Amino acid sequence: MDHGSLAGRIFRGVALALILVFFMFPIVWILLMSFQTNEQILRIPPRILFEPTLANYEALISGQLRTAAGNLEISFMHNLWNSFVLSSLAVVLALVLGVPAAYAFARYKFKLGETIAFTLLSFRFAPPLLVLLPLSLYYQELGLNDTYVGIVWVYQLIALPLILWIVRGYFEDISPDIEHAYRLAGHSWREAFTHIAVPLAGPGIAAAALLSFIFCWNNFVFALILASADKQPVTVGALAFVTASGIQYGQIAAAIVLSVMPTLLLALYAQRYLVEGLSLGAVKG
Amino acid sequence: MARLELKQVRKTFGGASSADGVSLTVEPGEIVAVFGPSGGGKTVLLRMIAGMFEPDEGDILVGGRSIVGAAPERRGVGMAFQNFALFPHMSARDNIASGLRAKTAKEAATRIDAISRLLKIEHVLGHLPRELSNGQKQRTALARALIGNPEVLLLDDPLRNVDAKLRYEMRLELPNLLRRGAASVLYVTQDYREAMAIADRIAVLMDGHVEQIAAPEEIYSRPASVAVARLFGDPSINLAEVTPCNEHGALVAAVAGAKVRLGANGGTATDRPCWLGVRPEDLALSRTASEDAIPARILAITPMHEKSVLLLRLADGTEWFVALPPDAPHGAADDAVFVRFLPEAALLFDRATGLRVGLPHHRQAA
Amino acid sequence: MSMLQLLQTNVLTGRTAKPRGRILPYVLSLPALLVCVAILVPFVTAAVYSLQRYRLNLPYLRGFVGLDNYIDFLSDPAFWNTLRISLVYTALTVALELLLGLAIALLLRRPTRFHNAVSIILLLPLMTAPAIAALMWKLMTNPGFGILSYLVGLFGITDFKWASDPSTALFTVVLVDIWVYTPFIMILLLAGLRSLPRQPFEAAALDGVPASFVFFRITLPMLAPYIITASLFRLLDSIQQFDIIYAMTQGGPGDRLMVFQVQSYLEFFQYTNVGRSAALLMILWLITNILSNIFIKHWLRLRARAHRQA
Repeated sequence: MDHGSLAGRIFRGVALALILVFFMFPIVWILLMSFQTNEQILRIPPRILFEPTLANYEALISGQLRTAAGNLEISFMHNLWNSFVLSSLAVVLALVLGVPAAYAFARYKFKLGETIAFTLLSFRFAPPLLVLLPLSLYYQELGLNDTYVGIVWVYQLIALPLILWIVRGYFEDISPDIEHAYRLAGHSWREAFTHIAVPLAGPGIAAAALLSFIFCWNNFVFALILASADKQPVTVGALAFVTASGIQYGQIAAAIVLSVMPTLLLALYAQRYLVEGLSLGAVKG
Repeated sequence: MARLELKQVRKTFGGASSADGVSLTVEPGEIVAVFGPSGGGKTVLLRMIAGMFEPDEGDILVGGRSIVGAAPERRGVGMAFQNFALFPHMSARDNIASGLRAKTAKEAATRIDAISRLLKIEHVLGHLPRELSNGQKQRTALARALIGNPEVLLLDDPLRNVDAKLRYEMRLELPNLLRRGAASVLYVTQDYREAMAIADRIAVLMDGHVEQIAAPEEIYSRPASVAVARLFGDPSINLAEVTPCNEHGALVAAVAGAKVRLGANGGTATDRPCWLGVRPEDLALSRTASEDAIPARILAITPMHEKSVLLLRLADGTEWFVALPPDAPHGAADDAVFVRFLPEAALLFDRATGLRVGLPHHRQAA
Repeated sequence: MSMLQLLQTNVLTGRTAKPRGRILPYVLSLPALLVCVAILVPFVTAAVYSLQRYRLNLPYLRGFVGLDNYIDFLSDPAFWNTLRISLVYTALTVALELLLGLAIALLLRRPTRFHNAVSIILLLPLMTAPAIAALMWKLMTNPGFGILSYLVGLFGITDFKWASDPSTALFTVVLVDIWVYTPFIMILLLAGLRSLPRQPFEAAALDGVPASFVFFRITLPMLAPYIITASLFRLLDSIQQFDIIYAMTQGGPGDRLMVFQVQSYLEFFQYTNVGRSAALLMILWLITNILSNIFIKHWLRLRARAHRQA
């Protein structure tokens, strides 16, 4: 590449600047909006410099929206809490189900193992509604509709293939001799698993857990179908917000900021593992 | 302590045989080296004893009790791995301590101190494996295998990945170290010198079966087959195609125009196509021709301090090595010389089967 | 098979291994197996529904109708519209994201600290929930106060209605999709580019080979496995896109953005036609299943490569 020539460098600089603007502008702009009053937002032309207000966040956190039509109670903080509960429980469940299976698939070559691993993988790519719509009917009969248990069970389907395939890769990279050495030193299979295999695959397990948390948090369609207002996560809650009458734009922006902040921070924290997670363990960053 | 017995152990992987009826006994306190070309099934054998996989047929016994099917931790087997297999997230001390179960902290500390002093790693006990040199890793792995006083100790080429100096030191130290616990020791190596230096007996494993098992001296002087003869010795044994015949009660053979005398015990080799094998150090050179001296020409001379190695071309074009004491006069390249050896030094192998015929007597096993 | 492979594949298994040694892998994977079965149940149910006349509001009419739901699609312009919109949407998003993602990856190829920082920042849109991303763009394209509406106004384009205008709705959602998912392609190709061996490029530089030749004859072919895997991955996700379109327009205006999953969602919840909704999803599943089989093959190859390097 011609990173030597001046023209080439200028071209690359301009191109990078445009790309950064395109991808960052929406985030920055919404962040700015979240500190503005409705009057400031509606002003034409829009201004970059304004007197910031925390009113939008205060309203969201207190749950009391003062509008022209009067006081409106909103449960956005409850949505945030739901997102947190659903995502964490789903990840924990997927870890409990997925890590032992990942170990089995890495250490023992058996046909059933491969079948399970690939079935879960292929369901990752099947249309979610195909499973969700019949499931919502089943849930209604079972009384699982709109329960944390029911929703978490479906949420962990997002996390399981990811955890299974990433952690499996980490287990495969541990020399089996290391575990044998531990067993020959007089330890049972279970001790070798908990004292050798799991600690050595620790970074992979942590990364897979963080990434699955992000993907669960960002999920929309599962909760849209299975959760009512009481159990809704932020993705569904924020959308309901827009259609609610009398909501101020700054408050929507603030809700968006609060919704995406946790995943963006987690993503920055776990960025070293993002490539691996996004490719389900096929590409190492 | 317990004897280790392998009885007709068979194991095939995808049609390829890794162990084809291996029988072997290691007495308590004995060190048996398993030596042979790579792919001969050495590692598979160790791993079957350790319980990483199970034999298809046959039995493995420790102290008379079959361990086939038992969990690895219940076999009373300790093992040192070629790649050390240290636990990367534990300090050297914890690595070693993992071999001690159900011991009080005080007792464990005493034993770890003792073994690490013996292996000269007491100053690195707090280090993680990645902070250790290869030699220290190897000693840590050994300490871990030794500390539990296993009945059977398996060593999978433990000196392979350490440098030459340490390997030499360890060859001297290991026999004593391994005998301390009176375990039955099976020692896999690809280096015949290591096998000879460390072992009481050597099992030569080729193509999945034990070609010969005997004391090092015997394997060297009385190899069971031409294949075994070739594996031991540097430079390797000299071979010539001969068909011995009986002349006035003595066995003789024509080699490159000379009529050499062979040992009296080769009687069964008469008129049979054979390989004649003579160790390079059993050859003598002279300037004078005689009927029983093989005419040859010196091609090259390599002084190796403890000996001089000469490459000769015999009159019929065969190339032989000669190893002479360093102070012996050996002439110069391109000199014409005559090669002699004592009849007792001659080994004869059946050319069809490769097996040795007759037994030279002058170097009885000690 | 090499010795090493043998040692790794036959660990602790074998003829006479203790029963627990043989059962252990099955015990460990039993929970995952149950999950598999648990997904298969609704999946099979959906397949059965697709063969039924099944309307939630008319439960007494329920019964098997064979392939009628599917056959009806053949003469149903709404179905062909759905198929067409889904394919156009997929083709547009994947092609544009691939081009843009590749370009960015090439720009950031040298692993300088600045480039690494940029690549991490660019990942933020991808880590934003797509439904929320759609919401962000909705705020920005609001005809009243949206900054983008204002900005295009500066160029003399007034009355630009973005997602609410049938002629620009597709453009708008494709734009949002590009904003969210281009970083996905970018980050995979960047990892691919940086894992390529250096020698061919150094040799080409020494020989003074022109840059275009290096790009088309060395870079692209060597990057091909990454490009194929990333594109197939995106194809699979894009043809099922729901979040962005539903959050932006719910398939509108009219039926302008009625892609498969939005259409079947509305069939189910608005028209309560379970059979038809299921049949639509089965057709989508057929498409994704073919794609995912191809994808998994390429993905496994990349995975094997990553493990060799490790």
